[in-house]
Amino acid sequence: MKSKSQSLWGDAWRRLKKNRLAMFCLGLVIFFTLLAVYGEIIYRYHEIRDITPSYQLTNLDAAYEAPSSSHWMGTDGLGRDVMARLVQGVRIAYKVGIITSMIAIPIGVILGCLAGFFGGKVDDFIVWLYSTFASMPGLLFILAIAMVVPDRGLLGVYLGIGLTTWVGLCRLVRGEVMKHKEQTYVQAAKALGLGSGRIMFKHILPNISHVIIVTFSLRFPAAVGTEVIMSFLGIGVQGEPSWGLMIDSARMRLWQGMWWEMTFVTIALFLLVLAFNLLGDALRDALDPRLND
Amino acid sequence: MHRLLSAALAVIAGSLFLFGCGEETSGNLPGAGSETVYYSQTNPIRGLDPASAGEVSSSLAIARIYEGLLEYDYLARPYKVKPLLAEALPDISDDGLVYTFKIRKGIYFHDDPCFPDGQGRELVAEDFIYSIKRIADVKNVSSGFWAYNNRILGINDFHEASKSKEPTDYDAEVEGLRALDDYTLQISLTDPYPQLLYILAMHYAFAVPREAVEFYGQDFVNHPVGTGPYELVEWRRNSRIEFERSPKWAETGRVELYPTHGTPEDAAAGLLKDAGQQLPFIDRMVQYVIEDSTTAWMMFLSGQLGASAISRDNWDEVITGDKQLNDSLGERGIDLISAPTLDVFYIGFNWDDPVVGENADPEQNERNKKLRQALSCAYDFDQMNQFMNYRLHPLGGPIPQPLAGSLKKPSPYAFDLEKARQLLVEAGYPEGVDPETGKRLELSIELGSADSNTRQSMELMADMYQKIGIVLKASYNTWPSFIEKMNRRQAQMFRLGWVADYPDAENFLQLFYSKNESPGPNHSNYRNAEIDKMYEQIRTLQDTPERTAIYEDMAEIIVEDSPWIFLFQPMSYALKHSWLENYVPHDFPYGMGKYRRINNETREQWFKSYDDTKLDMTGRE
Repeated sequence: MKSKSQSLWGDAWRRLKKNRLAMFCLGLVIFFTLLAVYGEIIYRYHEIRDITPSYQLTNLDAAYEAPSSSHWMGTDGLGRDVMARLVQGVRIAYKVGIITSMIAIPIGVILGCLAGFFGGKVDDFIVWLYSTFASMPGLLFILAIAMVVPDRGLLGVYLGIGLTTWVGLCRLVRGEVMKHKEQTYVQAAKALGLGSGRIMFKHILPNISHVIIVTFSLRFPAAVGTEVIMSFLGIGVQGEPSWGLMIDSARMRLWQGMWWEMTFVTIALFLLVLAFNLLGDALRDALDPRLND
Repeated sequence: MHRLLSAALAVIAGSLFLFGCGEETSGNLPGAGSETVYYSQTNPIRGLDPASAGEVSSSLAIARIYEGLLEYDYLARPYKVKPLLAEALPDISDDGLVYTFKIRKGIYFHDDPCFPDGQGRELVAEDFIYSIKRIADVKNVSSGFWAYNNRILGINDFHEASKSKEPTDYDAEVEGLRALDDYTLQISLTDPYPQLLYILAMHYAFAVPREAVEFYGQDFVNHPVGTGPYELVEWRRNSRIEFERSPKWAETGRVELYPTHGTPEDAAAGLLKDAGQQLPFIDRMVQYVIEDSTTAWMMFLSGQLGASAISRDNWDEVITGDKQLNDSLGERGIDLISAPTLDVFYIGFNWDDPVVGENADPEQNERNKKLRQALSCAYDFDQMNQFMNYRLHPLGGPIPQPLAGSLKKPSPYAFDLEKARQLLVEAGYPEGVDPETGKRLELSIELGSADSNTRQSMELMADMYQKIGIVLKASYNTWPSFIEKMNRRQAQMFRLGWVADYPDAENFLQLFYSKNESPGPNHSNYRNAEIDKMYEQIRTLQDTPERTAIYEDMAEIIVEDSPWIFLFQPMSYALKHSWLENYVPHDFPYGMGKYRRINNETREQWFKSYDDTKLDMTGRE
């Protein structure tokens, strides 16, 4: 079992390496990840030292300055460096992407496994549950959850996105588990008298883990996009430089030719979403056993 | 009145600053058929019942349809009330307790199915009594009972009686409200109430026919029936409202004339061209609810709106350094109208809060006061003014200029970082560090909106406070949840505005009276026995130098106690097209649409000359 799984991954990596575009996207993802880590370090450093970070300091005399050597991406309406805020935006985007995944993926995986493995009443109930969730308009549902969270801000974003985006994964996992349930290695495990939990999570789960990886890389950019929309609408991040907030404040001056804040934030968002999506697609191709050459 | 709601509105409007309170008017080209030619902007209207309305946009709409005994003189400055449905200003008894009004004969309500045979009947004194009782009726959830509370004899008994489950008995006598005959109204007070005349010019005293209220019931908010110059044609909530000149005025031969007296400046500005002419001038008014300032701005540039505010983001393109219009706008005959407002913006501290409010321990109480003073000293008005394109007046105390009682000398807690740091040390937070946690002191402020203007101004404030080592955390709420937090006294700090109800400092000082605490208008829940005593004293005083002296004393005590950070008093700047005539900004512009005129010739000419060359967003060709 172990050697088989390793060869799957080794195989996948070999195929991925051949895909130039995927490697470029992987590079971009690594770059953004480093930026996010750097942003987090800056943020933590200021928090521990209990000082206000420089990307929050205003200077009205330097407001709306075009990109120059001192401010590579110009300054915003309160004279703050756009680039520094953009990097903090990467940090927030990553936090949202990762934390919402940590909420949504376990829900999707566990419910999917239970439904697929046990079938019957359990399956009926879980199918009913995710059908109900899926039938509610996504963004409205997220907004509603974010509004109910007492302390608005990031927590609302995490819960809103995390609690609503597990349905797709749950469906996929359920299907996969149903397929695997009939396979001989599961039959063998059953014949050995192993418990259901052990079979589900020790035997079947590793065999469907590629589904989870692909789902993660595809839902990550979707979560970031949703966070930007929520912050743009004023119910997302508060008091920190999220991309949504930056786009919202930049839009009023765009027609006056103050293009830099909007442009750079949009480019960053575009690249992040694109890189994750292309990488996700490439991963899916690489991990799909049916495409074995 | 516009306690919460208009305060809210002003905060929400942010950059709009209630310019002229959205009093753009519109009309119809003669012969242009039923096609609406002019649009104008309004904020959402919540209802057209004078008893329940509370925010500026509703009040403006109501005042086109309904009228009261008195109104503000359009041109007179300082502001002055003059008779409208009353024949003259009232006879006031020597003790200042009994007001006797003669009501004009030959005033008729609009024709409406609620009247027998659909013909509007004549207005009588009983209508005013009925209307004031409606304000006091708990079941109407009026936002205006404060105006009569404990002021009119017997009104509180009526108020209490209306709390029962039974339908309110409107035939119950209120001792202080009597119709001596059909055309004589007598109001008797418990104590002298010098502001009563202003109150009677507000929509809480507008004449409402009992037939209409009983005929329409719950639906009365949608079916206004008044005596005013306009009738409602159609109202689509959050979208569009349309008024038409009421034919009743012409049928009944009612005479209302444009004022003939004005200053030479008024005459020079062309405000007296229509002197002595019959009102109103505009046949049809259509207002659209346009909440996006960019849309409203583009509609103004293309001539679809008669007047417009200037949003913060357009400002530096439209207005030159010396506060003149840019050339291409000036060329098109667009006028810039600026006027100070009687609006006050402030950050309030919750008196219930252990850190910034009152404390049972007198020493800690004193330290909390120092902290509030330090926060006042750290507020940099010049920066806020720069952020708002230099459209603000500094505000040194609770009373805005030019009202009697506004502080003459600068506040001792105006911007001064050194002093702020010193006060912080005295407050027990050296360098802003809270000795208990060893970290910088963190304060939270509640806001009633989350738009980018509000957010940016709060980020600016947060930066002002980090300079003295204090962390300001902003929490953005929707307006209803903000009000909820206010009423439950949950906010530590909050930002609000107050729009004057009448030009008297008493209207601002009541915000510090402890009996007006939340959910009343004293949202700071400020308590000071001395202020209470002085307030109770001035609420019955006539306008005299002695009263002004007490106002000044009160303002000084309040500044010292610092329950508020006095942010600013905005200037209002509006633009109007040349065809919108007789336009004067007024702090209480209710019912003033009737004075405005749309000059169709000028307008057609304008469209002919400029229709082909459109302006871009910066107001340039």
